[in-house]
Amino acid sequence: MLTYVIRRILLLIPMLLTISFLVYTALELTPGDAVSALINPELASRLTEAQFYELRESYGLNKSFITRYGIWLGNVMQGNFGHSLAGGVPISTIFLDRLPATLELSLVALFFSTVLGCILGTYSALKRGSITDSSLTVIGMVGVSIPEFFFGLVALLIFALNLGWLPVGGRLLPGYETIWDRIPHIVMPAMVLSLMMTAGVMRYARSSMLDALTRDFITTARSKGLPEWRINLLHGFRVALTPVVVLIGFRLPVLIGGSVIIEQVFQWPGLGNEFIGAVRGSDYPLVMMIALFSVFTVLMASLIIDVLTALIDPRVRLS
Amino acid sequence: MPRTQDVALSVKNLKTYFYTNNRCNKAVNGVSFEIRKGKTLCIVGESGCGKSVTASTIMQLLPALSRIEQGQVTYHSDSGDVHIEKLQRDGKEMRAIRGSEIAMIFQDPMTALNPVYTIGFQIGESLKYHTDLSTKEIREKTIDLLRGMGISLPEMRVDDYPHSYSGGMRQRAMIAMAMSCNPKILIADEPTTALDVTIQSQIFELMDKLKAENETAIMLITHDMGVVAELADDVAVMYMGNIVEAGTVDQVLRHPVHPYTRALLKSIPVLGRGRNQDIQPIAGSTPDPYDRPIGCQFAPRCKHRIEACDVMPQEVTFNGTQRVMCWRYKEFLPDAG
Ligand SMILES: Nc1ncnc2c1ncn2[C@@H]1O[C@H](COP(=O)(O)OP(=O)(O)OP(=O)(O)O)[C@@H](O)[C@H]1O
Ligand SMILES: [Mg+2]
Repeated sequence: MLTYVIRRILLLIPMLLTISFLVYTALELTPGDAVSALINPELASRLTEAQFYELRESYGLNKSFITRYGIWLGNVMQGNFGHSLAGGVPISTIFLDRLPATLELSLVALFFSTVLGCILGTYSALKRGSITDSSLTVIGMVGVSIPEFFFGLVALLIFALNLGWLPVGGRLLPGYETIWDRIPHIVMPAMVLSLMMTAGVMRYARSSMLDALTRDFITTARSKGLPEWRINLLHGFRVALTPVVVLIGFRLPVLIGGSVIIEQVFQWPGLGNEFIGAVRGSDYPLVMMIALFSVFTVLMASLIIDVLTALIDPRVRLS
Repeated sequence: MPRTQDVALSVKNLKTYFYTNNRCNKAVNGVSFEIRKGKTLCIVGESGCGKSVTASTIMQLLPALSRIEQGQVTYHSDSGDVHIEKLQRDGKEMRAIRGSEIAMIFQDPMTALNPVYTIGFQIGESLKYHTDLSTKEIREKTIDLLRGMGISLPEMRVDDYPHSYSGGMRQRAMIAMAMSCNPKILIADEPTTALDVTIQSQIFELMDKLKAENETAIMLITHDMGVVAELADDVAVMYMGNIVEAGTVDQVLRHPVHPYTRALLKSIPVLGRGRNQDIQPIAGSTPDPYDRPIGCQFAPRCKHRIEACDVMPQEVTFNGTQRVMCWRYKEFLPDAG
């Protein structure tokens, strides 16, 4: 198992190198150069020509492309992501500022969609052919095919503007910091963000469960005189779960992509919101670093999912 | 006729039909037989004749689109007769019988065990639901069972997952599971078809030993006449949902009467009789289960067909325990010349 995890981590390295190289190349092609973006622009404006040259020299800006990439990579790995063009704020500061909000939103959405999707999908499979099953199937189809921002806007219109039950947007009002103050803010964005994923997980859990229920070991379990709940959940669902976890891994990028839009719709102060701002303001260093960061997140998530899959499947766990 | 107190289970005029795509498949169409206590009943017949459906009916393990149409399945338990056909499929009474009074082992041990649970867990489940044993006692009993099935190092193998067991070991584990609560009846549906020959004989030896030790009645479904000759006390020959001939192993194998039984015996090589056996495959093939002949099901393939065969023959009992469904059976009796 440990070797499996280590091998899996080693596999990540070439991927990360390739992607960071692509990001770096893109940064080089944008106006200004990547390394000068590492220097605080406030500081740079106060420098004399000679001092600036020295500084460029010290950052290795006059060296070859590959060397510059190496220097940049070294900086990134130490947490120096460079500076945003807008206001010259270090990008790492922006990350520290915005990341918690994004994490909060995506983790809540991930939790919702996994739990809800599994429950609905399993229920649907167990009640195969019933009205509940057919309605859930239709809802699922609608769920995966209608874009999230549309749901977001409709939800805003109904629950915030018409009914006034939930706030229109934002994460926290200054001064209100208990968890009870936070919940109303996160309910809508998290729900909307998890909708598509829930529908996907539900559909997949349903078919995976149906498949599991036709397997021979279900008959064996029944022949032992076990009660139905145990046959369905302990034997059926447990086996159906593995492919569902894999699917959730595959869908994570969709969740991350979705959060960009949802954060915008609900004015959620996260990285996605920042990303849109950066794109609008042609803040290339920031855009690239956020992109690099999301790729990194997706890869890490897929690593976690793989390890999880291995943990719940003894055939992988033990080999 | 065996006395009733010797009978573990009796099936009377059982009909189990499948309803798929608005068509009806009369998979089991009026079979009657008895499983005697501590004896082995072998059910033989070509693929699709309804052997597995009969077994599933006894356990009420039928798929949703099939149902018991008619007839009785009576389990003669120590505390009185239980009419299985009247019980709710997955109701409490049926569950109390499954795995405890009547247990079953299946054809493919590779797929019959759940890959995500240890062997010990899966055997323990039966004990957990049918006995009052504590978790610790269940574990000890499970290890004992595995040891009894000839699995070496059972203390360690009990925590292994099915994928690390070989096919033969899995079937042993399945038998351990089935025997865990000392069932009165063990139903084995082609338990060795998926295993190789040497393992086959070990599994059958094991079953025979268990039968002798625990007085378990066995209903064994098989294609292998050699196995029948070796293990069976009684034999029932099925064809297209009917038992066309039944009796003791001597009666059916030595003095087969029904043309189908005789054709079947000639079509199968017998182990140990050498290479130059006179093997004659049965001419023709089994009819479409959705479009069955009206009369004798075997008539279209039968060399002895007459006009009367267009009507379903009555079942006749002779020689005490031998039964046959054939209009012309008298002509085929051993003393008919
Ligand atoms: N799950 C099912 N759905 C629909 N029809 C079925 C099902 N199981 C069995 N049947 C039908 O019932 C009839 C009897 O099948 P059964 O499985 O009992 O045959 P069998 O004698 O066990 O054959 P084999 O030797 O191949 O196992 C066949 O016509 C088969 O098509
Ligand atoms: Mg079968």
